[in-house]
Amino acid sequence: MSVSVGASVSPEASVSPDATELLRVENLSVGFPTDDGLVQAVRGISYVLHEREVLAIVGESGSGKSVSSMAVMGLLPKSARISGRVLYRGKDVLTMSQRHQRSLRGQNISMIFQDPMTAMNPVYTVGFQIAEAVLSHEQIPRRQAMARAEEMLALVGIPQPKQRLSAYPHEFSGGMRQRAMIAMAIVNNPDVIIADEPTTALDVTVQAQILEKLIEVKDAVNAAIVLITHDLGVVAGMADHTLVMYAGRAVEIGSTGDVFYRPRMPYTAGLLGSIPKAGDTGRLRPIKGSPPSLISLPSGCPFSPRCPLATEICHQVEPDLRPVDYPDHLAACHHWDKLAAVDDPSAYFRSESEASQ
Amino acid sequence: MGSFIIRRLFISLLVLLGATFIVFVLTANAGDPRTPLYQSTDPTAKLKIASLTRNLKLNVPVVPRYFLWLGGAVQCLWGHCELGQNVNGSDVGGLLVSAMGATLRLVLFATIIAMFVGIGIGLITALRQYSGLDYTTTFLAFLFFALPVFWIAVLLKLYFAIKFNSWLESPTIPVTVTVLFALLGGLIALAVVSGGALRKLYAFAGGAAAVALICLFFDQTKWFAAPGIGVIGMIVGAALSGVVGVTLFSGFRAKQPMYAAGITAAVGVVTFFLLSGSMTDTTALILLLLLVGTLAISGGIGAAVGGLYRRQAIKVAMLTGLGCAMLIFFDHVFAAYAGYAEKVRGIVIGTIGSNTPNFTGTFWENFLDQFGHLLLPSLALMLISLATYTRYTRGSMLEVMNMDYVRTARSKGLTERTVVLRHAFRNALIPVTTIVALDFGGVIGGAIITETVFGWSGMGKLFNDALKSADNNTVMGFFLITGASIVVFNMIADIAYGFLDPRIRLS
Amino acid sequence: MKTGDEKMNSGGKPEPGLGNNVGLDAEVLAHDVADIHGLSIVARTQGQLVRRRFFRHRAAMTSLTILILLILLTYTSIGFAGIPGWWPYDYQTPGLKVNGGAPTLSVVPTWFGGGGLHLGHHPFGQDDLGRDYFALTMRGAQISIMIAFVVGLVSTMLGTVIGALAGYFRGWVEAALMRFTDMMITIPLLVIAAVVGQLINGGPLILAILLGLLTWTGLARLVRGEFLSLREKEFVESARALGASPRRIIFRHIMPNTVGIITVSATLTIAGAILLETALSYLGFGVHAPDTSLGLLISDNQAAFSTRPWLFWWPGLFIIIVALTVNFIGDGLRDAFDPRQNRGRA
Repeated sequence: MSVSVGASVSPEASVSPDATELLRVENLSVGFPTDDGLVQAVRGISYVLHEREVLAIVGESGSGKSVSSMAVMGLLPKSARISGRVLYRGKDVLTMSQRHQRSLRGQNISMIFQDPMTAMNPVYTVGFQIAEAVLSHEQIPRRQAMARAEEMLALVGIPQPKQRLSAYPHEFSGGMRQRAMIAMAIVNNPDVIIADEPTTALDVTVQAQILEKLIEVKDAVNAAIVLITHDLGVVAGMADHTLVMYAGRAVEIGSTGDVFYRPRMPYTAGLLGSIPKAGDTGRLRPIKGSPPSLISLPSGCPFSPRCPLATEICHQVEPDLRPVDYPDHLAACHHWDKLAAVDDPSAYFRSESEASQ
Repeated sequence: MGSFIIRRLFISLLVLLGATFIVFVLTANAGDPRTPLYQSTDPTAKLKIASLTRNLKLNVPVVPRYFLWLGGAVQCLWGHCELGQNVNGSDVGGLLVSAMGATLRLVLFATIIAMFVGIGIGLITALRQYSGLDYTTTFLAFLFFALPVFWIAVLLKLYFAIKFNSWLESPTIPVTVTVLFALLGGLIALAVVSGGALRKLYAFAGGAAAVALICLFFDQTKWFAAPGIGVIGMIVGAALSGVVGVTLFSGFRAKQPMYAAGITAAVGVVTFFLLSGSMTDTTALILLLLLVGTLAISGGIGAAVGGLYRRQAIKVAMLTGLGCAMLIFFDHVFAAYAGYAEKVRGIVIGTIGSNTPNFTGTFWENFLDQFGHLLLPSLALMLISLATYTRYTRGSMLEVMNMDYVRTARSKGLTERTVVLRHAFRNALIPVTTIVALDFGGVIGGAIITETVFGWSGMGKLFNDALKSADNNTVMGFFLITGASIVVFNMIADIAYGFLDPRIRLS
Repeated sequence: MKTGDEKMNSGGKPEPGLGNNVGLDAEVLAHDVADIHGLSIVARTQGQLVRRRFFRHRAAMTSLTILILLILLTYTSIGFAGIPGWWPYDYQTPGLKVNGGAPTLSVVPTWFGGGGLHLGHHPFGQDDLGRDYFALTMRGAQISIMIAFVVGLVSTMLGTVIGALAGYFRGWVEAALMRFTDMMITIPLLVIAAVVGQLINGGPLILAILLGLLTWTGLARLVRGEFLSLREKEFVESARALGASPRRIIFRHIMPNTVGIITVSATLTIAGAILLETALSYLGFGVHAPDTSLGLLISDNQAAFSTRPWLFWWPGLFIIIVALTVNFIGDGLRDAFDPRQNRGRA
């Protein structure tokens, strides 16, 4: 949508990733029982997040990217069936007590949601809602918590923060509310901020400002970010590592540069091909078809029905995530070498009209 | 907001005016109060017909007669109502005032209880969606919706009251009843608790045992013959109100509010001993002063020990104090019970009227008398409102619990108590408040059936009798009050909405 | 009840209106795409979804069965409108008292110490004139059920039309209609129904129609609200741009999208109507002798409660069964049309 964002927020501007491991997700699976059967929203994803790192999780809607991060936060409904491990600084979040889990939430791991219009309680002031996050983890006087809230509002760039404390969410514009949400997420100096499509619901002009602000405050509080998005332009600009999800699984993971310039999974290549490039006069190259139903997945690779490279084996065996090119670049594809062999992997998704030209 | 209210008020008045016209024309054509006199062989009948015609202006055509009536009714605006006479020549205004008192007592009591209980049950069932409790209350709510009020009222009056009164003569609880109640208690505990099978088993056993013990205690001590709170009852009750206060307002994480609750409860127990048996008679004014004193003292305790949690501690202490005050109040009521039962010869649950005719006694005895008469009609009146509030609160809560901001509240690491009460319940209350206000406006005129069955001489009975004898001025007087109350409560609902929802407040 | 587009196909059959085609095309397209790629996506129309959800609603289906059986029993047993029924007694002829007028119905089996399973001559007993109480109850139920359904029909039609006109045309039409609705709401239902009942003094059918003319206010407000939001939707706009007449837009484009709330409201009106009629008859403002209704039966016999309680129990039981089952059906319909609070999300 807006590739130009990348130019203003370059990865070099952020602090380089540290070696200390903050979050390790191992083989996480989430299912929801419904009337029609078990919906397998997430099917065994694993990743590691280091201090001050930005990890982008990319995928179409319904690919399980939001569900997996909600599982990390412990915010899924009780009916959800969760398995695997989520280690925060070595301790498993999924097995710890409710009380312990709650003390992590908002204090060590915080979250920014997609739609700032509905994510704030309409009946309380913005200041109170931010101060509340402080008061639930620290026993300090109310006034002190409000002062912290004011400080945070100033940090995220809200003018006249003192007056704005007593405003209600509906008196804020969308961009302002998302800033306030960021303030709420960072008020306790968390280690990890999970941002679930933080700019999707905003105007294009505001999106860049919000992302810039996010990176800025991340450095101010020394946090790492898990950025969930379907907007590859956003990813290119700010993520250190990128994880691509399809049908509940990680299909490619690696450094953002590797994933972008040397995609080794046709789905990633297809996604990249569907972004319009400046100076590109050809037509858009969308991936044909739609994601499979999570209740009854096709046999073999779930992407095979839409994949131009699919062969017999793809329809029968689901490929594992294996190292390609470099040890830290993993992809789940039987034919990744075919992608490696060509210059522009997205050309496989060339539309008929282009091919006939 | 001010101009909005004035505009609303003006439109409402016009609407009410139109409605009175409709009702007036309809009632005027529904019957003629002189009909029984036309067939009468009484020599004075002619004279009576003439005086009725003159007093009720029956010789004036309907539409001008409406404006004559309206001319009198309009004077209500400056507090000097002229609503005409009824068929017996009494002033309608006076009749309405006395009927209004009785109806208000009934309706207020029933609605307030239904509101608290209904909203409470609705909240719990929403949090325990698809549990046994949820299914049971859902079924009961549907059953209450389907119950004909007149049928249940007659049943309560002719079956429950008589059986209960005769049981009170020798209040022993048979073993079968104890077992039944114990099972019921166990099932309720089972439904409320969530968790594994073992936990549920413990809950069932605990609930059943507690109820069985209470039944045994009531049976052995013949509690119903001479009820009282007792030392243990007071201590348990005070502790319980403290726990409720902490659960509602502060949670069990912060120490200071818990201290405040404990100190207040202790003060309450001491007061219980000091006052026990000392107030044989009292007045409403003394009680009111005592209540204010209680709230002041407990609020003071909360403020003194609250520390960082001062706000919460004050609320917790005040609720605990209120609980203790209620316990002490009922202890005094119970103390007067034996004497009262003797005076009314065992008819403790009254079935006709709002009090025993020509009854005199102490404040406590009068309270018992009125309460005993209030119980069954309120119960009949309550069932539907109770079901409505339960269902409505449950639906509203379920909707709000799915909102994004509730998820945000959880993501901040707030306790489940705070998420539910502060974030979800506060928002869920907005539509519920509207419904309660509208319902209350309607119920003032809706007690017609209950009042008729229980011979309660309130507004409903007035209307019923008046309509049957074509007593149009009384019907109009009744309608003026019920219609105005609907209009007023409609406005209150709007204002409450604006007050509860800041998004409305400004626009 | 979220958007018009989702509910577009509630009619089930393709309609020439532009709005409807958008929804259908999308579905057909999804089908084709799925076929091409060998995926099995089960696409269902809104109507199919609603039906499926309703048939899965156990309480509603049980209630529907009970209600149909009860209506069959009521109308076939003593016959209706001149058609004779299979029950030997009628509700008007006094007879000799059997068993002192007490019910001869027995449901406790002999091996359990009871009188065995049998109906006897007068399963519901006899009233003080010796009339068969089963026949009387059936007659009362016939009248009460008939009134309830007529009220539901009349009030639904009226409420829908008034709400639709007010919501679609806005302006002075809306102002006039809604002020009139406000006026009707100001008058407590029981009050105006009692006044009207007293005024008319006619047969049950007239009473039913009159009650229908009084109970439409709630639905009118609901439908108006729905119309206010639907008329701004794109599919209505496009229909208007194509030059469709207001009548066509109201009935062919917007109305199908309000079927949900109208159906649910109609059911709840029926449940309310049976309670209203019986209450009126109990007070003496509803059905009058020589005809009878469930409410009148209770009113006539309440004095005998301590001696012959069955005269009181049977009609009450029938009122509760009808009102309860209709309420459950309404609840099932609401869940079927508006599954927002469904298990999946809980």
